[in-house]
Formats: sequence, structure tokens, C-alpha cells
Amino acid sequence: MKTMQWLIRREYWENKGSLVVVPLVLAALMVLFTAVMAVKGQNATFTINTPDGAVSSADVLMGARQQRVVTDVMATAYPLVAAPLYVAMAFSVFFYCMGSLYGERRDRSLLFWKSLPVSDTATVLSKAALALLLIPLGTLVLGLATAIVITMIGLGVLAMNGPNLVPQLLGSGQLWLTAVKLVSLLPVYMLWALPTVGWLLMVSSWARSKVFLWAVGAPLITAALLAWANKMGGLAIDVEWLFQNVISRLLISVVPGSWFTVESLHVAVENAGRASGRDPTGALDAIYMQSWAALGTVHLWLGVLAGAAMIGVAIWMRQRREET
Amino acid sequence: MSAVITARGLTKRYGKRTALDGTSFEIQPGRIVGLIGPNGSGKTTTLKAILGLCRFDGELSVLGMDPRKQRDALMNDVCFIADVAILPRWLKVKDAIDFVAGVHPRFDRDKAERYLANTKLTPNLRVKSMSKGMIVQLHLALVMAIDAKLLVLDEPTLGLDIMYRKQFYQHLLEDYFDENKTIVITTHQIEEVEHILTDLLFIRDGRITLAASMDEIGERYTEVMVEPQQAAAANALQPMTQRTVFGKSIMLFDGVPRQQLQNLGELRTPSVADLFVASMKGSYE
Repeated sequence: MKTMQWLIRREYWENKGSLVVVPLVLAALMVLFTAVMAVKGQNATFTINTPDGAVSSADVLMGARQQRVVTDVMATAYPLVAAPLYVAMAFSVFFYCMGSLYGERRDRSLLFWKSLPVSDTATVLSKAALALLLIPLGTLVLGLATAIVITMIGLGVLAMNGPNLVPQLLGSGQLWLTAVKLVSLLPVYMLWALPTVGWLLMVSSWARSKVFLWAVGAPLITAALLAWANKMGGLAIDVEWLFQNVISRLLISVVPGSWFTVESLHVAVENAGRASGRDPTGALDAIYMQSWAALGTVHLWLGVLAGAAMIGVAIWMRQRREET
Repeated sequence: MSAVITARGLTKRYGKRTALDGTSFEIQPGRIVGLIGPNGSGKTTTLKAILGLCRFDGELSVLGMDPRKQRDALMNDVCFIADVAILPRWLKVKDAIDFVAGVHPRFDRDKAERYLANTKLTPNLRVKSMSKGMIVQLHLALVMAIDAKLLVLDEPTLGLDIMYRKQFYQHLLEDYFDENKTIVITTHQIEEVEHILTDLLFIRDGRITLAASMDEIGERYTEVMVEPQQAAAANALQPMTQRTVFGKSIMLFDGVPRQQLQNLGELRTPSVADLFVASMKGSYE
């Protein structure tokens, strides 16, 4: 366990720039941008659509019921504000995994790490743990904090023209419940992203050079060849199926929420989304419920098996590979 | 005490090329062994086999373990410096010490820090802003502070200037080596290590051609500066090699008693380098 802790610290030292500095700067810019807009756009108005009609910041009057609805919507939907951070995270995780085991061979530090009593299993698992658990958890915490700050700035603008909803929002249990719900989706993300992380770690431990080309090009070219063979030879391969169930799982499952590409999961969310005019929190609840429902799909578990197997191969490669 | 390393019939092929061709040897504890051979003779492959970094056929026991199967356990007692440039560029001195202290049960942090105090290395310095010599100093500080039973050095001083090279071996001998440790070194700079070696292993084409202690070498091999009038008599004793320096023939004899040679001219013990060149004669032909 102590070794694992040092291995994770090692990853932090090596990747501090892309994994820590970049998200922090991005979050700071988002807050700064919001603040500038809030100050410069003093006279601008914004409008929030609620079931009780539009609320504009130019209106200074808000009924108690309207205030409650606005607070509810904000307390439920505020994490969406941090979307750029989640997208950036998907890229960081992708490139982190792809580079990790390749980088140590390229700079030949592999032999230094191998001169220490640390098993290949522990090393590879430390990288997987960072990609699947620590980076997403850190991003989530940062994202929630950023979203709350930005929301508060927005409410501050509102307070200058009308009611001050800040105490009401902070006091609403919903705000914190949303955060807890979001963090509780982490296991879903971990299991869903496993095949992509496994694939990238495997390619990273195996490719002699041009890791990106192997990681991204190989699956795409395979698909293109199959599509071509389909056309030419009339093979009965469902390329679209292949894309959805294999290739996208190898390449884009690190994107948070990408499990909604599974049809059975996104239909319910879409239905709830259409009803969101009447029930704004319902749509978000549907997102949480359907995310958890992903655990009930065979699709997810097949991905988990494939991902675990590919991590196994990555470990095996690191053990057996001979540098010449 | 039983041998630290026992190798029997190690065989390794890279494609068609044979790197190890039934290599067999033993290394006893408390020795400093020079594994010496021309380029491509199988030195590095032998070391990789000992360190569990490559697959091979044959029997190999290192500290009673099979490096192919028990590599993780073996690394508690074995240390190695494989080349000069293998510390990652982003590593800081203080992080390197923290990390090794964190994962290695036999690491003595004080010892590493004492050693570093005598260098220009500062805690926040990164490997990428160090000179080659400084990187080796850091690596040596880390390795010397590990109380390992076996230390393997593969060309540890490659690319270093003479000051760093001298310092490296001096520290190794003074601050690290004791009768419980064993060091295996490969290097092309034979002159610089020969005075610290206790044993020699010559390797050629994947086979051990000579395995002897330095004392045995002194008894077995003799170099004679042959007087011109004795040349015919000397040649009759079948020298391994002869070369001419300032008009005098210098001949190297294997296994000829000194009493028999002393009439031929001035006697001396050959340097490892001369012995090496003599015994590797023809390996590039």
C-alpha cells in the first residue's frame, strides 16, 4: 500500500503540468471570464425560463414561488456549468494513459524503475488508478467548486437587480445533494472508462513508436477496411455496430457520460428532458438514475472484462518486454 | 558461503545471432568481478539475464532465486546502474530520495543525503538541468544508500570525464563495498577498474573464456621484456602474443613458470588490458 502511494506520487510529479496545472488554469479562466462578464455587463439582462414564465434579471420582482423554482433549477443544474473541465479531463486521461508506459521506455527511465523492488503489476495499476479514480475525482471536486463559484457570481448579478437568492441556494439541501449524487456516479465512470484506459495502457506498453497512430489509427483503419470489405466482398459485417460497441469503447469511453450512447439509457433521459419544462429537476434525476442503470447492461460489463484483460496484457508486456 | 550467482549453460538468441552460447560461471560473495569482453560478446545480455530483464534458456541462480520467476523479490537485494542516462528528466533530487526511501526497504536516507552533501546537487534540482556527471552522482547516491547484496554496473561511467570516473570508483570502494557485498562491473575502460577488481571474467562470443581471481592471474600470466639475444629461446616457449616497444620484444606467457622466464629478460605481471587484448586476438576477424 505504501508502495502504491509512492507510485501515485511519482505519477503526480511527472504529470503535474497536464493533470493539475491545466485544469486549475482552465477553472480560473472560467471564473475570471464570468466575473468580467458580470462586471462589464452590469446593464445586460439575462433571462431564466421557468414553468411560471420567464424571469429576467431586468425584473426586480420575483414571487416567492418563482424564487424557489429558480433556486431549485440552479441547485440541480449548476454542475453543467463546469462542462469544459469534464471535456478537458477526457483529453487528459486519454493522453495520460497513452503516454504513460511508452514514455518510460522512450526516456529509458524504465530501467531505473525496474531496478527498484516495485512489481510491474503495482506500477501499471498505479497508472490505471490515476486515470480511473484520482483524475476523475479531482476533476469532479474542482468542477463542482468552479460551478458553485460561477453560479454565485450569476446570482450576485441577479441580486443587484432583484432578489438575493444566494442564501436560499446555499441553504437548499438540493445543492449539496446534487454534488453527492454526481460524486456517486464515479464508480459508473470507472467501470465504463475501463476498456478505453485498458486499451491505451496496452498500446502504450506495446507500441515501439507512434503510439497515437496505433491507439487511434489501428481501430479506425480496421473499421475502414471492414467497411471496404463489406462493399467489395459483400461481407455481412455490421460496421455501425462495430463502431458503437467496440471502437467507440476503445477510444471515447473516457468521456464522462458517454454511456448515454447506449440506446436503452438515453431514451429515458430524452423523455425526461422533454418534460423538463414542467419538472426541471426530473431531467437531472433521470440522468442519475439512467447512469446507475448502465451497471445493469451487459454492454458495460463486457467492456469491464475487456478492459481488465487489456490491463493484464499491459502488465505482462512490461514484465516480458526486452529493451535492446 | 555459497555462490551469489551460479550460471549453467545460459543460452540466448536474438533472431539468428547467438548472444549467449552456453555461458557458465560462478560468482562468490564479497568479490568485485569485472565481466569483460569486446562489443557484442554477450556482456550486457549476461547482466540482463542476472537482473531478470530478459528471457533465456539454461540454469541461473542469483542469491538463490531464479531471476525469471522471482524478479520482484530479487530486486530487494540487487541493485543496478544500467547506463548513465536513465534517470527521468523530470525527477527532482529530493523526490528521487523520497521515492526510493518510500519503496525500498533497505534504503538508508541519511547515507544518501550525506553523500549528496559533498556534491553540487541541491534538493530542488531536476535531472534535466544536471550534467551527465551530476546525474551519475545522484544515481550513485541512491544506489550506495541501498544495502543490497549484489550491485550490477553496466558501463556506469560511460561518457563521464576522468574526474567523475575516478570519484565514482573511489566512492564505490570506500563507502559502499564490504565483504557482504558483491559487485559485478562491465566496462571498456579496463585500466580504470583493474586495480579494484578481485576477479576477472572474460567473455567472447557468448562464452566465458577466462574466469580467475586477480591473484591467480598474477601467477598464471607473465609478461617478459625479452632481451634481443633471447628472442629465439623465448619464442620456443610459445608466447600468447608479442609486441615491440622501443626495439624490445614484450611477450606474454600463459602458464610458464617464472623461474623459466627470468633469464629471458625483465618480468612483470601483465595489465588486464594487455591480457584482454591478447586473449581476444582475432575476435573481430
